[in-house]
Amino acid sequence: MRLELGSFPVRDARFGTRTRWADGVLEIDRAAVLAAVRRDPLVSTVELEIARPGESVRIWPVRDVVEPRVKAQGPGVVYPGWFGRSIETVGRGRTHRLAGLGVPEVSSVNWHDAGGDFVDQYIDMSGPWAALIPQSRLVNVCCVVEPEPALAVQTKNEVVHRATLTVADQLAAVVRDLTPPDVEVFELPPAAASLPGVVYIQCVHSPQAMSHSEHTFCTGTYGLTRLAPPWLLHPNEILDGALSGPYRTMFATSWAVVNNPVLLELYRRHGRSLRFLGVIVFRTEWTTQDEKDLMAEQAGKLAAMLGAQGAVVTWDAGGNEFIEVVHAVRACERLGIKTVFLTSEDSAEGGAPSMLKPVPEADAIVTTGFFNTSLLELGRVPPVERVIGYRRKSAGDAVDATIAGGEAVETAGAIAPPWRYDDHYGFNRLSTFAH
Amino acid sequence: MASELRAVHYVNQFFAGLGGEAAAGTPVQVRREPVGAGRALAAALGAHARIVATVIAGDNYFSDERERARAAVRDALRELAPDVVIAGPAFEAGRYGIACAEVCRIAGAEGIPAVTAMHPGAPGVLMYRREVLIVPTSASAADMPAALGALARLAVKVGRREPLGPADVEGYLPRGLRKSGERAEPGSKRALDMLEAKLAGRPYASEVPYVAPEVVPPAPPLRDLARAQIALVTTGGLVPKGNPDGQTSGNAKRYFRYPIAQLETLRPGEWEAYHVGYFTHLVDRNPNYVLPLGYMRELEKAGVIGALHPWAYTLPGVSTPVAAARRLGEGIAAQLRDARVGGCLLVST
Repeated sequence: MRLELGSFPVRDARFGTRTRWADGVLEIDRAAVLAAVRRDPLVSTVELEIARPGESVRIWPVRDVVEPRVKAQGPGVVYPGWFGRSIETVGRGRTHRLAGLGVPEVSSVNWHDAGGDFVDQYIDMSGPWAALIPQSRLVNVCCVVEPEPALAVQTKNEVVHRATLTVADQLAAVVRDLTPPDVEVFELPPAAASLPGVVYIQCVHSPQAMSHSEHTFCTGTYGLTRLAPPWLLHPNEILDGALSGPYRTMFATSWAVVNNPVLLELYRRHGRSLRFLGVIVFRTEWTTQDEKDLMAEQAGKLAAMLGAQGAVVTWDAGGNEFIEVVHAVRACERLGIKTVFLTSEDSAEGGAPSMLKPVPEADAIVTTGFFNTSLLELGRVPPVERVIGYRRKSAGDAVDATIAGGEAVETAGAIAPPWRYDDHYGFNRLSTFAH
Repeated sequence: MASELRAVHYVNQFFAGLGGEAAAGTPVQVRREPVGAGRALAAALGAHARIVATVIAGDNYFSDERERARAAVRDALRELAPDVVIAGPAFEAGRYGIACAEVCRIAGAEGIPAVTAMHPGAPGVLMYRREVLIVPTSASAADMPAALGALARLAVKVGRREPLGPADVEGYLPRGLRKSGERAEPGSKRALDMLEAKLAGRPYASEVPYVAPEVVPPAPPLRDLARAQIALVTTGGLVPKGNPDGQTSGNAKRYFRYPIAQLETLRPGEWEAYHVGYFTHLVDRNPNYVLPLGYMRELEKAGVIGALHPWAYTLPGVSTPVAAARRLGEGIAAQLRDARVGGCLLVST
């Protein structure tokens, strides 16, 4: 499976008379893009706004960020499987991307209506929170969208994410037939058998049990978010968006998954210091202990059948899911597969373990720091001049970590950072140290 | 250049040159000069610090006359008012290591920075590593020069009250604290570098060493259930409809208790679940799912249990760090104990 990935760098974007890319500047025909979105009669309102790195801008709330990509050659479509998009296997031919551009999905629509699981993430384009968030360094063309209010929450999610993908498709289409300034070839030719075989076990959350729906929107595999036994994907499928959609942090967004530095770094080491065997996509948040252990065992077995001598495990979620994730680490180690676990940490106050369930087999852990932003000593994030999205907190009436006391706040003001940071894929250098 | 620090050194009878076991009963004494091992320590401190006094005690005296020895050390430190206290190195010694750690604790209580050194397996480390700054040494006093160098460097740093870096950088044993900071490479690159080292059999250091979780021994069984007062506790995030107390849906800072003495069962519509970790609609439809009051009333009427405690305790048990969970649990347990509750049905989700 060979994929050429052509990058068109974007330094700036501005609204103009027609959508086109030239010399790093993306001009956008705002009316035409919005008209494409409004072809969906279930869209109630939609706007496009541009935010640039360094500006005093806050984008609130952000559900996802999508990098515009398009198939220039080869089968299928990028971000396949979502809401009727083709499910044909992707990862071959040529894909073009707008590098340095993001399409944030901004909407008041919540993931589902069970419990207090509210959309609580935002992007600042400058300041201390921006320094931690990779998407703050993108030129962001924000899709601010609301569906018809009478729809069920699941359908609202579909309408909102389809709108975002439509904007991304519209923007990427203008570079489909251009010659990219930069092309990187991704394929996994046979490598020396003396190099160790390595699998990437990428754990992604499924909200199925939490919401009692097999279709609740989240990071999907070809659009499927349900709990399923581990998938085996070629990394090229992931580069074409076969694994996309958000979870609760800015590091679990469509943009982060196609730009995942673990995946790219594994690729670049293929044939040099290791043999990259493939990606096991491991669905998490099973409900019973037996289910969790079964899936962990099966992930380990699959890695062994692929001939893995080594494995890297990442995950994207919070608590419950940790059990099957760390048991997958344990399953690999028990099969003799040397495994590294890349994870964030909980508080170690009082000398407590910072891993929810410490297991002795997880003896090679790389930490991307505390996931709880209250431990990062950021204080309140300074006010901004302009808010894209909602000037007041819009995600339900929750008393969450962002809004103390349950009162609505001006989102342009000095506010707390989102309560979760959680650099799942190791974009940053932040970590923790034993003292 | 920073001014010369005034240091007090603590040694036992052996390292003071007073003798071995025969001199182990020596009471606490103060000499206004470096003594025994302290002379080499003074050389290691160089111009950065001067040992203004040495506090000496026999190992038996410090352990057998514990309170008197501690008081004498405390009085000496108050009088000497040094910038830093240095104890040991104690290497693998049991009593001496414990004495060194306790001297450091006394100094700490007096607001004086302190540091000691001993083998990571020594009893003093096992007992006091959370509270005391300890430089790791080998088991044997043959390692004295290296141990003194590391000890002196750290003593100067804490004596100057400079911020302390991570344990492996500064050369002390981790105290169970974890602090945020940046490493040289992004996490993704470090993960693959660590994997390649592990695959090649090269040394690597896990960034999160294994810490065994605390094991909580269960309370003894109830002697007589039919006479016991039983309380209901739930981590299912149950709140009165509308969440009037403003409970959070996760990472709770507080728990709440609600009166149930007048209630026979929990009625749908009067309660709801506020919890970020499970399908709460089940509980919204039937709150007894996480707080089975109706069933407990039946057991109460049948005489299976003595009485139901008039308060039900609730919080969302999700996304809560261990220390916070412990505080909340201890609070609930203390209130139940004070109310003479004999047993508790804790419903989790």
